[in-house]
Parts: sequence; structure tokens; C-alpha cells
Amino acid sequence: MKASLFRTTGLALLAACLVHAPAQAEPRLTVISQWSAGAEGAAMDAFGKMVTEKGVKWEHSPVSGFTTDMMNKLRADIIAGKPPAASQLKGPEIKAWSAIGATVNLNDVVKATDYEKNISADLAKIHKPKGDWIALPLQIYRVNTLFASKKAMDKVGATELPKTWDEFNALAAKMAAAGITPVAHGGIGWADAMYFELTLAGISADAYRKSIMELDDKALRGPEVLAAFKQLRQLTKWMSPSNAGQHWSVFLPALMKGDYGFLMMGGWASGVLKKGNFEEGKDFLCGPTPNNTGKPVFDMNADGMIFWDTKNADLLAGQKATAQVAMSKEFARTFTQINGSIPVRTDIDLSDAGFQDCQRDAAKNLSGAIAANQAIMSLGHNMAQTSPVTAALRDVLTEYVHNDKIMPEEAQKRLADAVDTVR
Amino acid sequence: MNQTATTMQAGQTRPARTAPRRSWLSDVPDLLTRIVAGLIAAAAVSYVVGFTLWTVVISFTDSTLLPEYSFVGFKHYWALLRSRIWQVAYFNLTIYGLGFILGATGLGLLLAILIDQKIRAENLLRTIYLYPMALSFVVTGTVWAWLLNPTIGVEHFVRSLGWEQFNFGWLVDRDMAIYCVVIAAIWQASGFAMALFLAGLRSLDGDLYKAAAIDGAGPSRMYLRIMVPAIWPIVVSVLVILLQTAIKTYDLVRALTAGGPGIATTLPTNVVYDYMFQRGLMGAGSAAAVMLLLSLLIVLLPYAILQRMRGGKGGGLG
Repeated sequence: MKASLFRTTGLALLAACLVHAPAQAEPRLTVISQWSAGAEGAAMDAFGKMVTEKGVKWEHSPVSGFTTDMMNKLRADIIAGKPPAASQLKGPEIKAWSAIGATVNLNDVVKATDYEKNISADLAKIHKPKGDWIALPLQIYRVNTLFASKKAMDKVGATELPKTWDEFNALAAKMAAAGITPVAHGGIGWADAMYFELTLAGISADAYRKSIMELDDKALRGPEVLAAFKQLRQLTKWMSPSNAGQHWSVFLPALMKGDYGFLMMGGWASGVLKKGNFEEGKDFLCGPTPNNTGKPVFDMNADGMIFWDTKNADLLAGQKATAQVAMSKEFARTFTQINGSIPVRTDIDLSDAGFQDCQRDAAKNLSGAIAANQAIMSLGHNMAQTSPVTAALRDVLTEYVHNDKIMPEEAQKRLADAVDTVR
Repeated sequence: MNQTATTMQAGQTRPARTAPRRSWLSDVPDLLTRIVAGLIAAAAVSYVVGFTLWTVVISFTDSTLLPEYSFVGFKHYWALLRSRIWQVAYFNLTIYGLGFILGATGLGLLLAILIDQKIRAENLLRTIYLYPMALSFVVTGTVWAWLLNPTIGVEHFVRSLGWEQFNFGWLVDRDMAIYCVVIAAIWQASGFAMALFLAGLRSLDGDLYKAAAIDGAGPSRMYLRIMVPAIWPIVVSVLVILLQTAIKTYDLVRALTAGGPGIATTLPTNVVYDYMFQRGLMGAGSAAAVMLLLSLLIVLLPYAILQRMRGGKGGGLG
């Protein structure tokens, strides 16, 4: 009798604890990302606000700098056994990193909505590397975006962006003759790699997919890749050599002044320009980079958020609520209006004034490219390959951009050989 | 390095401890000191040796994001030796190492000799020359990145004075950029070399000067034939210290050129960091780190042996 009384009391206590626990634990989310300042930081703050409105305490710890700096922090946290509830992560890294830390299965949360029906299948695949949803894409950037200085265009009497590489070359030659530096390029490794990917994608999206995304040796040593190296050499002749080692954003003011003609950079540049009070149409023109294929090409950089497993009920609740927010139409609109990206969901109306023409153009571009099977993943932004492969290719490409003594044929051979060593 | 430092200290304290006989009680503090110092030394040594060994083990595995123990032999070493980035990095290290060591030693010696001429404001000048040593390489790199940048630095300044054709674009010239790293490093370290040389020169017996002067030696002859040979051990020490600084240099390149243009100024340390923390290749990165350690040993071991053979007592002044 005594023992049983004891047991009952214990059970009652335990039950009280169980009932009480969820009430005590206020849902919260610890999250790390590289988005600390500027348009990206503001978008992240807006995300936090939306999550907070759902009753979740938002604890964002930005790690500014390169994505890899944030990833080093993440790795340290995982090794220490205390990963954040969510972190920024994208592309093939989602698969690689899910092997070193346990992730949350989001299948039920995703399946309860119409989210999956309204996003690109390629993109969905990246975020469920083993069939289960463990991460969610937050935004898409069009990497192959061409920005032209309105003042520089006016000076040479051009009104429209060049559509093909031949048109681009002709217009850039005109600008050079008029004393304008045609291409504003800083010259940090990833940006050098990106210029190569833009030339190849604009020559043949199919060859890009085979050579860069599938690392096919025949395609890597094929004529399209060689043509891309030749076009890239032409581009480097139009860059200012004084800019080596500098970040692209350094040249935005000079670009707006008309000292430079073109900048090729992902859509995030339009977010930065918007924040700097520059207007599309008045100060700059924006569209896809030159494309010889005749059909739309979309070079994709999609940032995502991965959810790490945790035993804390408050964090689990926070993760669920955050995932619901991230899949909502409202989030898709708010987040992308601030940072210049385009929504992951294809059912968002971009016609209202909060969006720029540049974003509408990119969104149209995306659906066209998906239909034409020419939506590809960016090399320079770690979407096509994991970072060891990307870095091996980047070494070859960045050296080529800054050394005009390397012939296109030699560079092509080095690129294919570099792939051989990391494949 | 910690090990050398420890042995050095131990070596210095020992000869001083030739005290007369004491009672056993007075030995207690001495014993306590030895125990505490020994513990600290043991911790430091096991820390250094332990992690070095662990890095060596990891370098033979296929570890990527996290350490794992699937052994692959010398795979990473061969791959690195064949890779272009590693070849470029070691070639750069050769240019940078030679330029920096000879430059800083030469300039330091020159400054020391000039200051040795019993000039006015010696203290002020000495402080000014030594000052860069107080800065971190990151600061040096950033400052020189601005100075050497053609669009805002020296070239821009001289052109604004009227010399429109003046060109100084080394920083963005892939063949010359490594010399910018050399210049910045010399600026940083020559004051340190000067301080050591000056101390050496000052420690020489004044009679040496007088004797040389009576024998009719001119100033240049006096310094090159008499003074410098007399402080030769200090010259060697400076060379060795600068050499290991050169091999370890990482932050200067990171701040000054970020390894560019392209990969033109990459040093082996930058490659190690890149493999470990950018590419997430722990095995290959460890192999690179071990090779870097080996290059340090190749330099330091002969020096240590030489010191031991010559002096015999008290170990080397590393």
C-alpha cells in the first residue's frame, strides 16, 4: 500500500511535470547566418519579426564575412554537440553537412501545405537529399544578371542591353573607345569563377550542365568550354587591372557615375542599389547576361535554411513555427522585396510596387528556363559542387582571369585536369 | 617553438644556481619552483607534441568536415606536391623568404650602424624604427594595401603632384605583387633586426674601435671586417628568427593581397587555411600543415645542431 502510494505520487508528479513543461518552454529559435548588415541583414530582421509574431523567440547570431566563416562556426557548434536550431546552408553542402549532424525531419510540416507543388523540382531535391525534407530554400537569386550604367549607355548611344555575346562585345568596344572601362570587376576568387560560369552558361547551358554540374570529362575538354575561356579572356581585357583583390560593391558608385559600363553580378546587387537610392531605368539597366542559346537561361543561387535536431521542446516548437513562416506566401514577398532576390514559390504575384523590374524579369526568366530545361546551378556560389571541387576549379579560373599569358587552350586543360584530381 | 623557449630558459637559469650549501629547509621553495615549472613545461610540451602528432595522424586519413580514421597513406601528400597551388605557394615562399630575410637583415644592420654613430635624438629614432614591430601583420598588410593600391596610394599621389606618367602598380601586377609582400614585411621587421644588432654593437669592447682606428681602418672596413664578424652569433640568430617568421607568414598576405592577383601571392600557410577551413578538407589540410612543419624543421634542426656543436653548454639561443 505504501509502495503503491509512493508510486502514484511519483506518477502524479511526473505527469504534472509533463503537462507543465510545454507551458513553461516558450518556443524559440537559435539561428546563425552570414546575413548581418545591409539589405540581407534587413531581410533577416524582417524574417525574425514574422517569426516573433507567431510567438517564437528569435535568437539570430550573424557571423559576418564569407559563407565559409559562418560554416566554421557551425562546424565548431556541431562538434561541441550544440548546433543551432537552424542555420543558413545551401546547395550540395546540405547533403554533405547532414552527414555530420542530425537534422530534423520536416516532412509533416511541408506536406501540410501546398509548398512543394509550387517550387521547382530541382530545388526541392537539393533540400531533401535523402528523400526527407531537412532544409527549406528561402530565396532565389539570378546569378546571370547584367547591370549596365545608364550614363555609360547614354554616352555611347545605346538604349538596350546586349542580348548575345557578340552584341556585348560590340557595345563594350564602343565604351572602351569612349574612355569608359567596360567591365566593373573586383577580382576575388569566387567572382572570377562566376565570370567564367556566366560566359559558359551564355554559350551553352547544356555544356555547362554536363561539364560543371556533372563533371563530364568529354564536355570539359569540348569546344563550348574552350569558347567560354576565349570569351572570358576578351572580358578580362575590359576590366581594370587595378581592381584585383577588391570586392565588387566597391565599384558600384563609379558604375553609377558612368566610369564603368557593365557589372555582372547576382540579383543581390539590385538590392544594394535599391538601398543606395539608385533607380532602375534612371541610373541603371538590369537584365539577363548575354545568352547565345536562344532560350532563357537561369543560373541559380538559392540560399536555404537547414534545421538541426535538438532535444529541447522549446526549440522543436520554434523550428516548426519558423518552417511554416518560411513556406508562407507572405514571407516570400516580404523577404525578397527587401534583398532583391526572387521568391522560391512560383505562385507569387510580383506586380506590386514593392518589387523592382529587375526581380520581375528574373522571375519570368526562371519559369522560362525551367520550361526550357536551362535552369542551372551556380559554380561560383557553391550550388553546383561541394566546396572542395568548387575550390579546385576556382584556383584555375582565378589564375586565368589575372594572367593573360595563359592561353584558353592551356586553361581548359588545367580545368579538366583539376577536376580529375578531385573527382 | 615552445619547446625551444623552455629549454632556453632552463639553460639560462641553471648556471646562475651555483649557490653555496644551504640547509634542507631553504631547498623547499626551490623544489616547489621546479615542480611548478616542470608541470607547466610538461603541459606545454604535451600540448604541442600531442596536437602535432594528432595532425600527422589526420594527414594520413581521408577526413573532410570532421576527423575520421580511414587511412589513405601518402595520398594527400602526393596530390599536394603535384597541385599547382602548392607549387606556386612554395615558389612564392622562396622569393618572399629570401627577399624578406636578406632585406630585413641588411636594412636592420645598416640602421644599427647609422644609429651607432653617437647621433642626436638616438632614442627617438630607435623608437620610430622599432615601432612597426609593435603592429600586427594584419595592420601592416592593410596599410600597405592602401599605399600600394594604384588608384588611391603612392601612384595616385605622385600623379596628382604632376608626374602624370608615373607608374607603380606592383600590387596588381601578378609578377611583382609578391615583392609588395616582401616590402611590407621588411618594413615591419627591420627595426627588430636593428635593435638586436645595435645591442650587439654596443656590447663590444670600446678598445676594439680604438685599435682598429689606430691601425688605420676606415669606417666601412671597420664595420665589415671587425664589428660584424664580432657580432656574428647575433646575425645568425636574427637570420633564424626571420626565417621561421617567413615560413609562418599568413596574415600579411591575407590582408595585403588576399593571395592575388589570382593566386600569384599565395603562401603555403594560406593553402593550409584554405584546405582546412574554406574547402573543408581536414586530411589534405593537415598534410599541408605537416609539410610546412617539416620545412621549419629542415631549417631549425641544422641550426640547433650547429649551436650544440659550437657551444656545448646551455643549448641554442633560438
